Amino acid sequence: MRETDLVIVGAGAAGLSAASEAAKHGLSVTVLDDNLLPGGQYFRRLPTSYRHTKETVFDKERARADALYATTGQKGVTYLNDAVVWEAPEDGVLAFARGADSGRIRAKLTIIASGAHDRPAPFPGWTLPGVVTAGGLQNLLKGQRVIPGRRAVVAGNGPLVLLVGATLARAGAELREVVEAAPILKRLAGSIADLLAMPKIVRQAADYRLAIMKSGAKLRTGWTVIEARGANELEEVVLAPIDEAGKVNRSRSRTVKADLLVVGFGLMPSIEMVRLMDCKLEWKPLRGGWVPVRGANFETSRPGVLAVGDGAGIGGVEMALREGKLAGVIAAERLGKLSRDQAASLKAPIQSEIAKVETFRRGLERLYAMPPAFLDLLTPETIVCRCEDVTAGELRARQDAGFGSTAALKGTTRTTMGRCQGRNCLRTLLALIAQASGQPIDQVMMPRPRLPARLVTIGDLLQEELPPIEMPKDPHLPRGEQVS
Amino acid sequence: MTGFRITDGIDRGTAFQFTCDGEAVTAYPGESIAAALMAAGHRRTRVSARSQMSRGLYCGMGVCWECIMVVDGKPAVRACMTPAEPGMKVQTQHGVGPGDGA
Ligand SMILES: Cc1cc2nc3c(=O)[nH]c(=O)nc-3n(C[C@H](O)[C@H](O)[C@H](O)COP(=O)(O)OP(=O)(O)OC[C@H]3O[C@@H](n4cnc5c(N)ncnc54)[C@H](O)[C@@H]3O)c2cc1C
Ligand code: FES
Repeated sequence: MRETDLVIVGAGAAGLSAASEAAKHGLSVTVLDDNLLPGGQYFRRLPTSYRHTKETVFDKERARADALYATTGQKGVTYLNDAVVWEAPEDGVLAFARGADSGRIRAKLTIIASGAHDRPAPFPGWTLPGVVTAGGLQNLLKGQRVIPGRRAVVAGNGPLVLLVGATLARAGAELREVVEAAPILKRLAGSIADLLAMPKIVRQAADYRLAIMKSGAKLRTGWTVIEARGANELEEVVLAPIDEAGKVNRSRSRTVKADLLVVGFGLMPSIEMVRLMDCKLEWKPLRGGWVPVRGANFETSRPGVLAVGDGAGIGGVEMALREGKLAGVIAAERLGKLSRDQAASLKAPIQSEIAKVETFRRGLERLYAMPPAFLDLLTPETIVCRCEDVTAGELRARQDAGFGSTAALKGTTRTTMGRCQGRNCLRTLLALIAQASGQPIDQVMMPRPRLPARLVTIGDLLQEELPPIEMPKDPHLPRGEQVS
Repeated sequence: MTGFRITDGIDRGTAFQFTCDGEAVTAYPGESIAAALMAAGHRRTRVSARSQMSRGLYCGMGVCWECIMVVDGKPAVRACMTPAEPGMKVQTQHGVGPGDGA
C-alpha cells in the first residue's frame, strides 16, 4: 500500500493550493484526480500539445493556472492523474482505480477537495443534444477551445449565466438571448456594498455584460427557459418571464430559434466521498444543498478528514484557492511541521482574505436568490432521470399510488440507479417527494450512499494487489477458526 | 447547424482523422472525441435504451454519462473525457451497444 502524510482528493483550485502549501512546509503529499490533466474545472487545461501563439481574452488566467499546474511537479508532491477515488475502506485509507496502477493509499490526514457539478434543472426538452450545462460549456472552452453550436441562447440563475454569455459572444457565436431568472438589476443596489468586497469580480461582471450587449444579443433578467424543442436535436427554445415568487408567465413566452442552449441553474457540491466516509451533512441551499458539516479547521465530523473548496459548499474559485491554501497550513501544523505561532501568522492573512470572499458571497447570494419553482415546468413526459429514462409522470403516478418514499421510488423506477449515480436526478426526486409529502426537502430521506463513489470498471479493481485471503481449512467453519 | 473551433491564439498541431459511424471526422492530438464531433456538427452521441431518445454532451466534465459512445468496439466510453486518436472507430451508442446503426 502507498503511504503519504497527506492525501488530497481533487486536483482543482482547492486541492492543488492545499498540496502546494503543505509540501512547502515539508509534508509528503499525494493528490488523486480523475482527469487526465490537473486544474479541476475552473483551471481546466488545454491539451499540452496545443501551443499559444498569442494572448487572447480567454488567456487571462494563464499565470495563475500555470502556477497551479506546476504544483504537480513540486518537491514532496505526488500527483496521480486519471485516478478515481471510489472508496474509503478504513480510517486513513482510500482506494482508487487507475488501470494497472489501481490500489490503496494510507495517509495521516485526508483533504477532500472534490469540487462541484451543475445542478440539474429539468424542463421539457432538456435532454436534447444541443442543450448543455454552463459548466460544460466553460469546460469545452477552456479544455478544448470548442463551442458546441452556433446560434445560442443562455438561460439560468447565478453568476455563470453572464460569464457564459460573454464567452459565447467573444468566441463569435451568434448569441441570441441571455436570460437570468433572478431580477438582478432591480436588486443590485441592495447587494453592491457587499459585492464590492471583491472589486475585481464586479469589474469582470460588468465586462461580461458589455460583451453580451455589444454582440447584439438580448439580455433579460427575470426570464427563464421553459421548454426546448427539436426532433433529434435542439431547434428552438421557449423563454418566459418568471416573477420573484417563481411563477412563470406563459402568456408572454417567446420562441427563439437556436441550436445551442446553455443552462446554468447553479452548482451542487460533489459529496459522494464525504457521504461514503459517513461525515455529517447539513442543508445549506445557498451553498448548493447538502454540504459536509465543518469545524473551525475545515475538519468534518470524521477526525482527520478535512473538506475544502466547492466540494464543501459552493464558494467559487477565489474561495477554493484560499481555503485550499489554509488547509495546507492546517495540515502542516497538525502533523508537526509548523509551530502554533508559525501557523497562526501564516493563517491570519489568508483568513482575512476569506472573510472578504465571504462578504462578497453574501452579496451574490442575495442578488441571485430564487425560489425553487422548477417542478412547475415538468410535464408528465419530462425526463427526470436521464440514465434510466424515467419521466415525471411515472414518478408522480407511483407517488399517487402510495409508493412515495425515496426507497420505493428508487426501487420501482430505477431513478438514481443509473450511470450518473443520481447526480442528474436525485435533487429533483427529493424535491418531488418534498412537494407531495409537504416535508421540507432537507427532511426527505436520502438514499444510502453506495460504492463506488464514482464509477470504476471491474477490470481496474481486479488490478489491485490485495493481501492473500486466508482460507479456512474447513470451508464450513467461519474464517479464522481451525478444525480441532 | 454546427459547432466550431476557436482558432485565434492556438496552434493545435497536425490534424488527423478518425471515423464516426463510418464518416471521417477531423481531430487534433489531445482533442476529446466530443470536441471533435461538436466541431464537425455531430451532436448525437447515444440513443437511450428505454425510450430511444437522442442524447448528447451535457455536463462536459465526466459525471453525466450522456456522451457515451462505442469506441473501437468498447461500449460506454465517455466522449468528453477520451482523447481522439488517429484511425479510431467511433459509433453512436444505441442502448448498451452499437445497435444496428440505424
Ligand atoms: C463544469 C464546471 C465548470 C466551471 N467553470 C467555471 C468557470 O469557467 N468560471 C468560474 O468562475 N467558475 C466555474 N466553475 C465553478 C468552479 O467549480 C469553481 O470555481 C472551482 O473550480 C472550484 O475549485 P475546486 O478545487 O473546489 O473544485 P474543482 O475545480 O471542481 O476540482 C475538483 C477536482 O476533484 C476531482 N474529483 C472529485 N471527486 C473525485 C474522486 N472521487 N476521485 C478522483 N477525483 C475526484 C474532480 O474531477 C475535479 O478535477 C465551474 C464549475 C463546474 C462544475
Ligand atoms: S458530457 Fe457528461 S459525461 Fe460526458
